[in-house]
Amino acid sequence: MFGLIGHSTSFEAAREKARTLGFEEFAEGDLDVWCSAPPQLVEHLQVTSATGKTIEGAYIDSCFVPEMLSRFKTARRKVLSAMELAQKNGIDITALGGFTSIIFENFNLLKEQQIRSTTLEWERFTTGNTHTAWVICRQVETNAPKLGIDLSQARVAVIGATGDIGSAVCRWLSQRTGVKELLLVARQAQPLLDLQQELGGGRILKLEEALLEADVVVWVASLPQTLSIDAASLKSPCLMIDGGYPKNLDTKASGNGIHVLKGGIVEFFSDITWQMMEMAEMDNPKRQMFACFAEAILLEFEGIHTNFSWGRNNISLDKMDLIGAASLRHGFQALGLSAQIDPTPALTTA
Amino acid sequence: MTENVTEAFPSDQLPDFSTDTYKDAYSRINAIVIEGEQEAHDNYISIGGLLPDQAEELTKLARMELKHMKGFTACANNLGVTADMPFAKEFFSPLHNNFQKALAEGKVTTCLLIQAILIEAFAISAYHIYIPVADPFARKITEGVVKDEYTHLNYGQEWLKANLETVRGELEQANRENLPLVRKMLEQVAGDAAVLQMDQEDLMADFLTSYQEALLEVGFTSREIAKMAAAALIG
Ligand SMILES: NC(=O)C1=CN([C@@H]2O[C@H](COP(=O)(O)OP(=O)(O)OC[C@H]3O[C@@H](n4cnc5c(N)ncnc54)[C@H](OP(=O)(O)O)[C@@H]3O)[C@@H](O)[C@H]2O)C=CC1
Ligand SMILES: [Fe+2]
Ligand SMILES: [Fe+2]
Repeated sequence: MFGLIGHSTSFEAAREKARTLGFEEFAEGDLDVWCSAPPQLVEHLQVTSATGKTIEGAYIDSCFVPEMLSRFKTARRKVLSAMELAQKNGIDITALGGFTSIIFENFNLLKEQQIRSTTLEWERFTTGNTHTAWVICRQVETNAPKLGIDLSQARVAVIGATGDIGSAVCRWLSQRTGVKELLLVARQAQPLLDLQQELGGGRILKLEEALLEADVVVWVASLPQTLSIDAASLKSPCLMIDGGYPKNLDTKASGNGIHVLKGGIVEFFSDITWQMMEMAEMDNPKRQMFACFAEAILLEFEGIHTNFSWGRNNISLDKMDLIGAASLRHGFQALGLSAQIDPTPALTTA
Repeated sequence: MTENVTEAFPSDQLPDFSTDTYKDAYSRINAIVIEGEQEAHDNYISIGGLLPDQAEELTKLARMELKHMKGFTACANNLGVTADMPFAKEFFSPLHNNFQKALAEGKVTTCLLIQAILIEAFAISAYHIYIPVADPFARKITEGVVKDEYTHLNYGQEWLKANLETVRGELEQANRENLPLVRKMLEQVAGDAAVLQMDQEDLMADFLTSYQEALLEVGFTSREIAKMAAAALIG
């Protein structure tokens, strides 16, 4: 069985979701109530692969909302409790969706293996980052040409280049895709220098500088809400892959040759009936989902019950190959621009 | 994100067990625990009176509670603290009264919900949160105790599960009347618990997690449980 640990995009959205699901009492509660609310296994679901294989899964809402990010103890407890619930339900492989995996890594929860009477078995969990990185690379490769961007002549800026996903994207684009130049952006200098050395190339730039030169921009850092982009100074055409969370780039820059694509999203070949996704911000919620979620589904299809994506900087090209092949075989497709190029380039957010 | 949370990291340091502030808070928290264990003993014996065929098993559980009580009494002695028993009696009185009333009316379901589910789930979560911040002596004792409490919780779960269809209504009623009491009890000791480095939100959340788990085991659906838990959280 596979599992997905998700959360709402905001406290308001969480309340709305609770109301829809018939948890009216919780919907009325304030943020403190939500802070002490336990995670919920909201629904069971079935997925049938393009190969015909059917698997069972479950969706767990951690009852975390981004408004809790500044409350360390709350955020930590939410993630660990949701993982405990997944394990207690006998779920073999669970994806840590949304902020869950970031909280896990940044708060160093690896040392919190014991939660109440449960010893968490790490091999039951995956961040889903390998699949996310593969999907983002694929989105670059298939959509840039649609805009007339020849990748071998293009500069690709990776914002969040030293991150788990960002570094994997850099590796893939430099070794597999072959782009003219990678522009590496992050805040800390040393990891950038290390990455540059590992890649044997790439230019380290500040965000504003990189944006001026980039034909393709891959965003894999959570954007500060305050960030503003001077759309007029960007190249045209410019492909922007919004791999961050929440996906809000299209509100900052789009139109005039700037094409924003939701990054790290895949579409399944057939409808999946799940109530939770109806409420996620997807254009086609019956088929679209985060690539990290899809990784748990893929690992279950493949019978790979191990923490496939785990820790930082462990994503190898071999693993991306493996998960990418599985993704195609079972019927996933990376979200593309085609449907949205005309007449309005901007993607709408739900 | 990282930079605005690092300062919120809790300290890895244990509290100073020798300060007057600590001992003062401990005198009440420890008393509650001692009183809780004593009541648990008495309650299991009483429930045995309502379920004669289970009396032997229940006496076994009751005996464990007495052992726990002695263990926690030793913890107070070890720190040179005198437990504030009058405070603890007062603290438990609403729940105690509800139990006694149900007992007099022969309501096994209500008695089991109060003792074997609510109190046990509360104890389990509180002990789990206490263990990492306890003094070494108390830690050892509490670790042993918590294992037993799972046995007790399990007993309650099994009985209610086997009888769910006939006891459902009474369970929901008992939940409405007693769950809010547990929250009030928690709020009442939040200050003292904080001195022991036990966070109130953690206590509430862990309690709700244990409680939810128990009710799932009994056979309620997550939606029913959420409704039931809301009784404690809201209003
Ligand atoms: N399917 C999907 O859509 C998924 C999306 N994500 C999203 O992808 C993003 C990256 O995830 P992951 O790789 O796991 O995260 P990491 O924490 O590993 O990496 C974050 C990267 O962003 C950089 N960064 C952070 N803040 C800024 C900033 N203000 N300006 C420039 N660079 C910055 C960091 O470097 P430094 O600290 O030095 O600045 C680091 O390179 C997240 O936003 C996450 O929510 C994650 C999983 C799935
Ligand atoms: Fe006990
Ligand atoms: Fe007990």
